[in-house]
Amino acid sequence: MARYLIEARGLHKEYSMGSTTLRVLKDIHFLVKNGEFVAVMGASGSGKSTLLHILGCFDRPDRGTYLLGGNDVLRASDKAVSRIRSTQIGFVFQTFNLLPELNVRENVELPFLYAPSRPSDVKGSVTQAIAEVGLQGRMDHRPSELSGGEMQRVAIARALVIDPALVLADEPTGNLDSSTGMEILNLFQALHANGTTIILVTHDREVAAHAQRVVTLRDGEFVHDMV
Amino acid sequence: MGNSYTTWYRTLKILSVATRFLLQRKLRSALSILGVVCGVMAVLAMISIGEGAKREAIRQIERLGTKNIYIKAIPLTQDQQHKARERLSQGLNRKDTARIKASCPHVTDVAALSEIKASVRASNLEFSPQIVACSPNYATLKNLFISQGRFISDYDTKNNNLVCVLGDAVARSLGPNGKLGSNLRIEDHLLQVVGILGRQEATNGDSSAVSIRNFNEMIFVPLCAKNALGIRRDEERDITSDLTEAVVHVDEVDQVIFSSALIRRTMDVLHRGVEDYQMVIPLELLNQAQRTRRIFSVVLGAIAGVSLLVGGIGIMNIMLATVSERTREIGIRRALGATRTDITVQFLGETVILTLAGGIIGIGFGLGAVRLVTEWAGWATAITLYAITIPLLMSLLVGVFFGLYPACQAAKMDPIVALRHE
Repeated sequence: MARYLIEARGLHKEYSMGSTTLRVLKDIHFLVKNGEFVAVMGASGSGKSTLLHILGCFDRPDRGTYLLGGNDVLRASDKAVSRIRSTQIGFVFQTFNLLPELNVRENVELPFLYAPSRPSDVKGSVTQAIAEVGLQGRMDHRPSELSGGEMQRVAIARALVIDPALVLADEPTGNLDSSTGMEILNLFQALHANGTTIILVTHDREVAAHAQRVVTLRDGEFVHDMV
Repeated sequence: MGNSYTTWYRTLKILSVATRFLLQRKLRSALSILGVVCGVMAVLAMISIGEGAKREAIRQIERLGTKNIYIKAIPLTQDQQHKARERLSQGLNRKDTARIKASCPHVTDVAALSEIKASVRASNLEFSPQIVACSPNYATLKNLFISQGRFISDYDTKNNNLVCVLGDAVARSLGPNGKLGSNLRIEDHLLQVVGILGRQEATNGDSSAVSIRNFNEMIFVPLCAKNALGIRRDEERDITSDLTEAVVHVDEVDQVIFSSALIRRTMDVLHRGVEDYQMVIPLELLNQAQRTRRIFSVVLGAIAGVSLLVGGIGIMNIMLATVSERTREIGIRRALGATRTDITVQFLGETVILTLAGGIIGIGFGLGAVRLVTEWAGWATAITLYAITIPLLMSLLVGVFFGLYPACQAAKMDPIVALRHE
């Protein structure tokens, strides 16, 4: 096992908008050890979302290298990247992103649909993941029948069910009131305690305070890295 | 690793989820396949009606007998008659039939038939039956079924017996006068009824190339009775040997075409090149009918293709709308590890499932439509395996063809944009 789960060096990304070029990431070095809980802080437009997309293999930097668990994902094919996402990365979004047509159980089971191999006991894994977020009683509910906090719990269960090496969370508390947000953050801390590596993107200092390490992005550069 | 089992399992699972999504949007799904339903229905109905028409034609031709060759006299104009006489052609006559029988090896029998313009003197007859003089073997060659008595025999011919055989409708119409043994008055002669034919299946007999005789409304007399019936002689020719039609029977179906060439040559020699006869070969007509049918099929196929094309375009529109509407779903699936192929499979699968369902529903409606056509319009129809498999296969192909573009659009989508999509 590599010492670092994430080894990103010299990440550079720019968007050209007409005559002006917008440099979103400027020569970012980002190393994350296994089991770390990192909060990426920054105002909107600071480049934190772009960084998350690159780490989640959705986007490619213009320059730089990115090794995830020792694999050079920037050179991988769509198929290989999809496989990495389906086996190693769990996503949690600000807007939950559950499929409204499916019930809780089916939403949590969805990652297995795309995984290259299925665990022998899919049902057991799904039930366990739902139990971990405390929604045993809501298995057959549709997302529309759940509160915001519950929906985010389902999303976390969906991220957990594949037992990922890395959980990427993009403003997971952004759409929740503060007490519900706190519950969700406690859930992340419990995950961290179990050894899962978590990268959480937020603009909220209080949310970031729950992390073990906080890095701050401003205008595409790290200005602060604090453990 | 993704061995073939998991790949199949995965595809099936993705398709089953796709089906559920379609079922949750029932109205939209139903509306989107309407075009395909109509297309498939039209294809099935057209194939069945075409097939029915073809079978009807073949049935009529086969009733003429595929092993038979018909030689028919052509009525000549005044001018042509002069020319024929100059060349000493005597029209279709008994010499021709005798010569054909003698000179063509595969010809087993030749029957002769001559139409007589005479009328039956009977008050209770509702129609005027056609009177024909024919040789005794005519019944065998045409497979005539005799329900009572017998057909004309060689004995009648030899002895100049004035006898007649009635068609079923004639016998019925004559009532008590149409029984065996009673006498029928034709012009100034009394002919004894010696036989009555069984009822022949009625045909609409409109197929252009062949005219099928309606035996139900015919009276058969021996060839020799022709003179006795006192038909006016308007020509110097020996009217007894004058024939309207000769039926040549060949022993093998394979020999029909060869024999017809031989007969044509024989006739050509006998008639010295005068075209006062016409040959009708049912086997050839049958082949021709099949060729015509092939052209018919191509035309039908083109029409069907257009209707399915329209249906396919309709479904493609709906699928494109669906893809843009479900952009976010695509983003979520990609985030959860779906490859571009998985997304393509999902949306292509949805389209194919839709068109196949449309195909099945269309076949159901099509079968109903064919039934209605048969019952209300009285057209002959035939539902073959092709009539069902072809439209079903076409609906499948339409699904694949028109589903591919929306599915590729879905797969091409940038996951970041898709996830941000509200």
